[in-house]
Amino acid sequence: MRRLAWLLLFLLSTARAEDVLHLYNWNNYISDDTLARFEARCRCRVKQDYYSDNEEMLAKLEAGAIGYDILVPTGNAVESLIRRKALRDLDKAQLPHLANLKPEFRQPWFDPQNRHSVPYATTVTLIGYNIDRMQALGLPTDTWALIFEPRYLEKIKGKVTVLNSQRELMAAAMKYLGHSLREQDAAKWEQAKRLILRAKPYWATFSNSTYIKDLAIGNIWVAHGYSNDMYRAREDAKAAKRPFAIGFTTPREGAVLAVDNFVLHKSGQRPDLAHRFIDFMLEGANAADVSNLIGAGNANTAATPHIRPEIAAEEGIFPSPPTLARLEMLRDFDPKMRRALSRMWTEIKVR
Amino acid sequence: MSDPRTQPADLTKWVVTLPPTFFLLVFFLTPALIVVAASFGEPGEFGGLAPWPAHSLDTYRFLFGDIIYLEVFARSFLVAVLTTLICIVLAYPLAWLIARSPARRRDLLVLLVILPFASNFLVRIYAWIMLLGPANLLYTPFAVIAGMVYVHLPFMILPLYTNLEKHDPALLEAAQDLGAKVWTRFWRVTFPLSLPGVFSGSALVFIPVLGMFAVPELLGGTGDILIGNLIKEQFLENRDWPLGSALSIMLTIAVLALAGLTSWAARMGLHGTEAVT
Amino acid sequence: MKPQHWLWAASLATYAFLYVPLAVVVLFSFNDSTLNAQWVGFTTHWYAKLLGDGEMLRAAANSVLIALLSSSIATVLGAMAGLAMHRYGFRFLPLLVLTPVAMPEILLGISLLLFFRQVLDLTLGLVSILVAHITFSIGFVAVVVRAGMTGMDESIFEAARDLGATPWATFRRITLPLILPALVAGYLMSFALSIDDFVITFFVAGVGVTTLPLQIYSMIKVAVTPEVNAVSTLLMALTLTLIFVASRFAPDVLKVKT
Repeated sequence: MRRLAWLLLFLLSTARAEDVLHLYNWNNYISDDTLARFEARCRCRVKQDYYSDNEEMLAKLEAGAIGYDILVPTGNAVESLIRRKALRDLDKAQLPHLANLKPEFRQPWFDPQNRHSVPYATTVTLIGYNIDRMQALGLPTDTWALIFEPRYLEKIKGKVTVLNSQRELMAAAMKYLGHSLREQDAAKWEQAKRLILRAKPYWATFSNSTYIKDLAIGNIWVAHGYSNDMYRAREDAKAAKRPFAIGFTTPREGAVLAVDNFVLHKSGQRPDLAHRFIDFMLEGANAADVSNLIGAGNANTAATPHIRPEIAAEEGIFPSPPTLARLEMLRDFDPKMRRALSRMWTEIKVR
Repeated sequence: MSDPRTQPADLTKWVVTLPPTFFLLVFFLTPALIVVAASFGEPGEFGGLAPWPAHSLDTYRFLFGDIIYLEVFARSFLVAVLTTLICIVLAYPLAWLIARSPARRRDLLVLLVILPFASNFLVRIYAWIMLLGPANLLYTPFAVIAGMVYVHLPFMILPLYTNLEKHDPALLEAAQDLGAKVWTRFWRVTFPLSLPGVFSGSALVFIPVLGMFAVPELLGGTGDILIGNLIKEQFLENRDWPLGSALSIMLTIAVLALAGLTSWAARMGLHGTEAVT
Repeated sequence: MKPQHWLWAASLATYAFLYVPLAVVVLFSFNDSTLNAQWVGFTTHWYAKLLGDGEMLRAAANSVLIALLSSSIATVLGAMAGLAMHRYGFRFLPLLVLTPVAMPEILLGISLLLFFRQVLDLTLGLVSILVAHITFSIGFVAVVVRAGMTGMDESIFEAARDLGATPWATFRRITLPLILPALVAGYLMSFALSIDDFVITFFVAGVGVTTLPLQIYSMIKVAVTPEVNAVSTLLMALTLTLIFVASRFAPDVLKVKT
């Protein structure tokens, strides 16, 4: 009995003795190499938990996930967190490399003085697909019609997944219908809902993360998802020598652009480590990992020389100006609208 | 004057009964009541619940305003019924075999049934992800049923075998002597006697299946959302706690009604078999 | 005899149904392929990776710690409840003790989440998981202990009382040794239940305390490599050992489910 008590004490004490940085991040959004380099430099440990949707992260926080030092919310989620007063102010003195940020990422609309957030990476929510299958079936890959129109869906029934996210899926529908994502007219959102319900029987499942593997293996031929995940699927398929290739394209009707940022949650225990981490990620070489290893867009000028040319040329990762013009960022709505939309989402799931 | 022997016994009664009672009142009953209260609450501005005084029937109005939410319950019931029936069919021969086996082999056979149960249920689901992916059956209703049956089958086998083991072989011999064929012997003698075991096993399968979300989430398609998934989503994605609570309350009522029905039916079944023997 | 053959065939089919999927999981834990879509070659590399995986080891340590603590407390409380249910005819007690076991787990998880967050404003973590696990284990231990006491000769207790033994002495010298097998079986089963639990832990776990099932769930959704297969295989071996040992102490416990 006494030995048991000593064992317990030992376990508890070792847990407290270490310097641990709690990071709540998107899955597949920072490479193990980068983390290992940071852990070596700070002589600390980074514990990562994952989410695959902003709503999931916000819901988890609301459900009592207290103790994360750093979160990586998209712009609209940053706005929500700021309004909720859930974030610590940044101590710019601890972030000398802040100057590396590209000018267009300073003073974002969700955090005008960069008081709480530091941009990390950008992604586009688009369509990833099995190139060989799409060619064989003669299906267009540059339009949302591929996942919304029954005449195309018929040929790929049960081989399509969409994001399990009310914001993202309804945004895709709105873009396809030609509406803005800031639309306040509920009737237009109802239209999007009906579009989704019409296509739903053809989709295999709602998936926020399993589609990466499903695409790479070949279980799924078309997936609605994030550009960095599609990049990963493409590389995985190549590495496993699958008999097909994965491609990803931003639909011509427009799509969601996400700027994801490091923020400090006020319940975090180690703001010091958090600042060191953020500054570490602002260094050019480390920021380049975001593009080279993860396949996400970059907010860092010092990273540019380190980015591999083939990645820099990827339209899905670094959208060209014409594409950029068609991209829109998600904005948060007032509680009444949010409630209406989440109730619509429940209906979509159930009908 | 009170009996000195009974006085300490009274104290013992409370010393023994109070701690677990208190623990469960605080950590089981009270939370259950909180859920009831929450279902009448309003969603907080950022999720969760709005501060106390705020309350409304809005959530229930929403749920009962459209038949589709009852349809999810119906669908969950259907899946639970199907799973239970398939489990009974799959479990019966095996349970019968184990019950009729000599004692030593019986222990081995039971252990062989428990061994798969020793795996974490997520692993059991993952096994089906591995199998169904290449077979093109992933994300289908078939996958959901297969997963549900697979996870719960041992819960049907064990109570059934326990019951069957107690059957007196003389009854079947008598039936055979009276000229009854195999199927008649099974249907008129064995099955009625085994009903308590069938009901026990069914309760252990049906009720957990009703509330399960992991199987539909990992194996199911867009049309396979069950009540457990809906509840989970309200808390972990939609941040609509009143709606999640209301759904939980409805599920609780359904389960309690079922449990009541089961014990009533089991008692009926018992009366029936008493008439036979 | 035809019915006999049919019976054996059906039973074998059921066993096959139970085993083939798990055999696939175990087999593919040795697959030399990250995607694990088809068999590529044999390797034990994933087990090595598992043993070097800090997160996994910490999750395992948490799972064991929580299981040890919650089973201990649950066994004490459950034994009390089992004794009380057997000896005193309180009508409410079986209802209170057994309903947590009978309810779908998601209901227990949600209610505890609401209770911890809305009422207690407790930060989710080790304590919340512990309380949750104890709550669903008490009923199980109570059933085992109650079953262990049926068939016991009540006259022993009367004799002890007549001879002037205090209730505590009666408990220590008579009751305890008699129910010890049931206690051990109950402890081991609630240990296995706790290590295995996913749904309830899913809702009440906080930051920094991951358990093994939660880790597996995260791996299935996010990073599906054969490492999942490896940890599954190891977990199977562990739980099986526990159940095997439990069955040695109380063979009847396997039959008593409700």
